[in-house]
Amino acid sequence: MKRRTLLVMGLLLGLGLSQVNPFRARLEAALHGGGHEFARVMLAQDKGQALCSQYRDRLPPDLVPQFLAEQKALIKYPKDGKLLGDWKNGEKVFTDPKRGNCYACHAGDPKEVAFGTMGPSLTGYGQRGTSEPVVRYTYEKIYNAWAFVPCSLMYRGGVHGLFTPEETADLVAYLLDPASPINRR
Amino acid sequence: MRLKAWQVAGLMALWVLAFASAQEGVDPREEAKRQKQLLLETSGILPTELVVEQGKELFQRKGPSGKTMAECDFGLGKGVLEGAAARLPRYFLDTGRVEDLDSRILTCMTRVQGYKREQIRRSEVVAVAFYIASKSTGKKIQVRLLFPQERELYALGEKLFYARSGARDVGCATCHVTYVGKRAGVLPYADVLGKDQSWTHWPAYRYSNDQIWTMQDRIRACYGNIAHPAPDLYSLPILALEVFLAYRNNGAVVEEWPAFVR
Repeated sequence: MKRRTLLVMGLLLGLGLSQVNPFRARLEAALHGGGHEFARVMLAQDKGQALCSQYRDRLPPDLVPQFLAEQKALIKYPKDGKLLGDWKNGEKVFTDPKRGNCYACHAGDPKEVAFGTMGPSLTGYGQRGTSEPVVRYTYEKIYNAWAFVPCSLMYRGGVHGLFTPEETADLVAYLLDPASPINRR
Repeated sequence: MRLKAWQVAGLMALWVLAFASAQEGVDPREEAKRQKQLLLETSGILPTELVVEQGKELFQRKGPSGKTMAECDFGLGKGVLEGAAARLPRYFLDTGRVEDLDSRILTCMTRVQGYKREQIRRSEVVAVAFYIASKSTGKKIQVRLLFPQERELYALGEKLFYARSGARDVGCATCHVTYVGKRAGVLPYADVLGKDQSWTHWPAYRYSNDQIWTMQDRIRACYGNIAHPAPDLYSLPILALEVFLAYRNNGAVVEEWPAFVR
């Protein structure tokens, strides 16, 4: 008897879960009203984006550890394992609005006057040296900023493929290489 | 209109001034006022005034049905324009939809004036929006959430405003709430829900690139700036964001419509 009740309950639950949520369907229809490309990007929110949207950038403390761990797991590394690449190519990625677009928020080369103030200045970033922990932190922060600060403004350029792992290593070099304009005096 | 050499020089000087002063981080509102004064002194008439006049002409033009736009109801009754734009967007019983200024003009031109949708140029809609909005200068924003359709759009607009999506991981609130006052380009991010009352800044003429925009264009450009596909003109997501923004700016007094902004 008990087993039968369980079976019926299980069936009902399955039926309930298999139905498309009417609210979700309405939302999808509304978004498609704005064009399919717009709807596609809006509906393709990943788990991290959905959480940051839901909590309006202020993630509850108990969710932070798992959030950071999941973001860290998204980081990919160059095949040759070298996290410090070529600063000259890094400069190209740094300035390219379609890739790094870093000047939108950060100061960098002191000669560049058109920079945003959303993020901290990166001029002289190389004073931290090129020890393994500094290189690794810099690499991971650039590749996926949310692995360190949940819902920070800095977008996850590596995760979204705006630059490759190799290009991320080049960006690291642009920040850390003593010969880079970021560090030249 | 052919520009005289001194006028060209004046315009170029304006450009240089606009650029130079932007670098110094002056208050953008004060700067816009100064630019407006300069432009007025140089050319004797403001671009906003020209577009309003053009909109007035279009408003009084007879459509295929023989009717002018004075036969349309913009929310306060047939032909009543005084303060009408300050109460939009709102739900309209005749269409069964929530409409903002842009979409209500479209409704007027198609349903009342008899134009076909594809005959209507965007620039005409914007000009008429400039004219109708000009009748709300000095009025208070009064947007209500009376009908379920209005409440539903407000909820969607709020959701979109705080959504973080796309390859740049950002959304409206990221800059316009969390990073207010900081800047990515030349201008600091406006506090659109708070003290800047950005809803009252559009429709506007942008002197930095000589464009006439309604809030619909402004919202689409915001998405463009974050490399995110923009919602189509007159579409539900734009309307939803507008209902949210307008409602949150309720009580704000329209300093001048159409506005004059960078």
